[in-house]
Amino acid sequence: MTAEKTTIDTNAMKKLGNLGTSMVQQVKKGEGPTFETTLRTKSNTIFDESAGCLRTGDKKEQRKYLSVAQARTFMQTVAVAAKSRQFLKENLHTSIRGLFYQLKFSLGEDIDEDLFTEQSESNGLIEDLEVALKIKREDLNLTTDRKGFVAGPMVITDRFGGDETTIDLEKQGRSGWSIPSDVDNGMEIKKLDADYVLVVEKDALWQRLNEDKFWKKENCLLVTPKGQSTRGTRRLLRKLADKKLPVYCLMDCDAWGWYIYWTIKTGSMNLAYLGRDFAVPEARFLGVTMSDIKEFSFLDKLTIKAKDVDVKRAEEMLGYPWINRHDDWVRELKMVLKTRKKIEQDALQGQRLTFVGEYIKDKIEKKKWLS
Amino acid sequence: MADDDMFKQFKEHSVAEFFKKNRQMLGFTGKVRSLTIVVHEFVTNSLDACEEAGVLPEIFVQAEELGEDHYRLTIKDNGPGIPKTHLGKALGQMLAGTKFHRYLQQRGQQGIGAAACTMFSYITTGQNTKAISCHNGTMLVANISIDYKKNKPVIEEVEETLAAETGLTVIAEFKDVRYERSNHGIYEYLRRTALANPHCTITLIEPDNQRSMFPRSVEKNPPKPFEIKPHPLGIGTHDLLEFARQNKESKRISSFLQETFTRVSAGKVEELRTLLPNINFNKNPDQITWEEAEAIVKAFSQVKWIAPTTDSLVPIGKDQVELSFRNIFNPEVLVVTERSPKVYRGGIPFMVEVGIAYGGGIAAAGKKGDVMRFANRVPLLFDSGGCAITETIKTMDWKRYDVKDFEEEPIAVLVNLVSVHVPYTSAGKQAISNEEDVMEEIKFALREASRGVQKYLAGKRRAHESANKRKVITRYTQQLASDLATLSGEKKDEIEKQLMKIIEEKYSNEETAGGDEATPPNDENREKETGSDQEEGDAE
Repeated sequence: MTAEKTTIDTNAMKKLGNLGTSMVQQVKKGEGPTFETTLRTKSNTIFDESAGCLRTGDKKEQRKYLSVAQARTFMQTVAVAAKSRQFLKENLHTSIRGLFYQLKFSLGEDIDEDLFTEQSESNGLIEDLEVALKIKREDLNLTTDRKGFVAGPMVITDRFGGDETTIDLEKQGRSGWSIPSDVDNGMEIKKLDADYVLVVEKDALWQRLNEDKFWKKENCLLVTPKGQSTRGTRRLLRKLADKKLPVYCLMDCDAWGWYIYWTIKTGSMNLAYLGRDFAVPEARFLGVTMSDIKEFSFLDKLTIKAKDVDVKRAEEMLGYPWINRHDDWVRELKMVLKTRKKIEQDALQGQRLTFVGEYIKDKIEKKKWLS
Repeated sequence: MADDDMFKQFKEHSVAEFFKKNRQMLGFTGKVRSLTIVVHEFVTNSLDACEEAGVLPEIFVQAEELGEDHYRLTIKDNGPGIPKTHLGKALGQMLAGTKFHRYLQQRGQQGIGAAACTMFSYITTGQNTKAISCHNGTMLVANISIDYKKNKPVIEEVEETLAAETGLTVIAEFKDVRYERSNHGIYEYLRRTALANPHCTITLIEPDNQRSMFPRSVEKNPPKPFEIKPHPLGIGTHDLLEFARQNKESKRISSFLQETFTRVSAGKVEELRTLLPNINFNKNPDQITWEEAEAIVKAFSQVKWIAPTTDSLVPIGKDQVELSFRNIFNPEVLVVTERSPKVYRGGIPFMVEVGIAYGGGIAAAGKKGDVMRFANRVPLLFDSGGCAITETIKTMDWKRYDVKDFEEEPIAVLVNLVSVHVPYTSAGKQAISNEEDVMEEIKFALREASRGVQKYLAGKRRAHESANKRKVITRYTQQLASDLATLSGEKKDEIEKQLMKIIEEKYSNEETAGGDEATPPNDENREKETGSDQEEGDAE
């Protein structure tokens, strides 16, 4: 959010150090070392109504080194912590896969076992550390793949690899600015003139709107997560929402589109522990909606038959308290279940290529969105 | 004319012919079994003689192969020997034993007698049996044969000299027999005899000249069992008649019953009188008819009796079985149970001893699910299929006692049934019949001993698991210590040393106390629970 790079880094370093020190204290007292973290199970995921997002509950889990079932995981957790501390100390970044390879070595000459054998082992432990130490993996100098792009009236400065670069997001040509995995550490928004943020699910539509200089005409930030949002994209959207910019989303009217939207809005169950820092409860769902089909007759011909996964997802969503508390969504999903139809955002270009721009403007103007 | 001839012929050949045709009735069935039976006859006689004389038994057995299915047996003891006057009778007269119909816990109860062996030797080889008896300062060497027309022993004296020691040596040849080191062979018979008779030392030389010795582990003979009066409920019609015939003192049935049987009082005789108004209890016992005897035996079961005393029973003893087991098997774990005496059929005292040994020397000897049956310390090697002991062991739920597969594990079970009257299934006297009371006791004894074994096995398994756990945790300790050092800035070696100490403490305690209440890893739950959620964008 607003924290400076230096303070966050020291903070993470300190927390990692404390973790080690407290374990060593236990050992010195003759106790088996333990590690406490919050349970990241579905049953310990709750919807925080006041914050408007999913977060983990209060259930704790204690891991013991002296328990045979937990010894290996315990040792691995500490190994991840130690390795992360080393990255921070050297001020180098790597991906979670890079971390995995850093830790994929034999436990000893006479031990026929690797510290880690699969990346899936280390991924979970990184999340454990994030929850236990209340830090983000980005604070541990762990990067994730980039996927999202932005264009629009914003200037940022990026301190990275010893240099500081100023980036004007209006001058990124046809490709846009690629959202990095960490938008907090070493990154600052210098100038922001946009009136709102428009998130479109697909890169194809983003390119279409970018070509139209939609962001210039509308004075907005044009974002595409290219499907599911990365942590970096979600974090950036949160930061922009904190700057009081409305966030409008344009997705497919199907299971995947809804899921992408709700992850942006409330966070996902998988990463519920990230809480509000990665959620944008203020986000609005512009479309595509089932009611659009009635309004724009040409869309009726462009619908697709809903697949089982879409229907199942719609049914599931009706069961989620953070979704069924919105009457407009209940109506929308019930309509999907009734008509068994879905529609892609690309259909908005069906009549003429520039229709989509008009559609968006119209929706925002008339506040025809779903909450 | 022919009648006389036929009768004469018949008479001349009767004993030998009868014996030849009815060998199996005396136990001489099968080549291996026959040889074992011979050893059994002589060894039990020797043990009884030694104990009677108060000598610690030392028995020597040698089997030599003379040809195909042709062997010479030598059995030597350090007993009192047999005086010249009795030698022929002891070795050459069928059914001449002193053990017939005595209510006394004894080995020879199942004996067919040494004379049968002499006979067996003679009819298979035509050879006499050689006996060397050192008794009372005289050594007598004699050849003994049987005048089977008269069923009379014939002693051919070879020499008589002075002897410093005592003992009896019998040397006899047999054909149509075979030496085998199997579960039915002499080796196994002697091994088990030694096991149940820890006060004796047995030496065996097998046909291949291999010498085995089972040394005694107890330097004291067991107490002598004393004869008790039979209890009315343990009596059959034939027994009653036999006792009546042998009776000399009593002139009336009423006094005969009180004199001969235990727990029969004047009052009880009155009860019998009212139950049997047609029987004259005042007449002489030798005038009891079969029908009357039958009626009396039937009436016995209608009267309430006090159970017989059980103090006449002499078990091997818990300590002795333990010593003996250790001596012979040196097992890893051994539990011996001695049940208190009980009564079966309401009138026959008996008791059960069970020893269960596991691992150690048993595994080394290649024994698996070894069942060793004994009756009054005598090994029962044959007819195991129909035996109450075998059946009780087979039907045990061994898994409950941490014995996963009885037949496949290094476990040896000893069951000794002690009784004044062992309930055998048949004349072969190699199996215990399914007497309900007896089977119950065997079952209880087995369970009791098994619990002890289970305790040990469970502890062992725990220790094994504990050692494995320790190993698992130990292998991660170096890495953990190094990472903790990186995080905390403390010295790696110190952390590692301390960690190892904690692990040692925890798991060495656990080996004795047991039970790591390790909580199941939560990782699994987590995967299951969030598995349905769709993937996040940051996965690579």
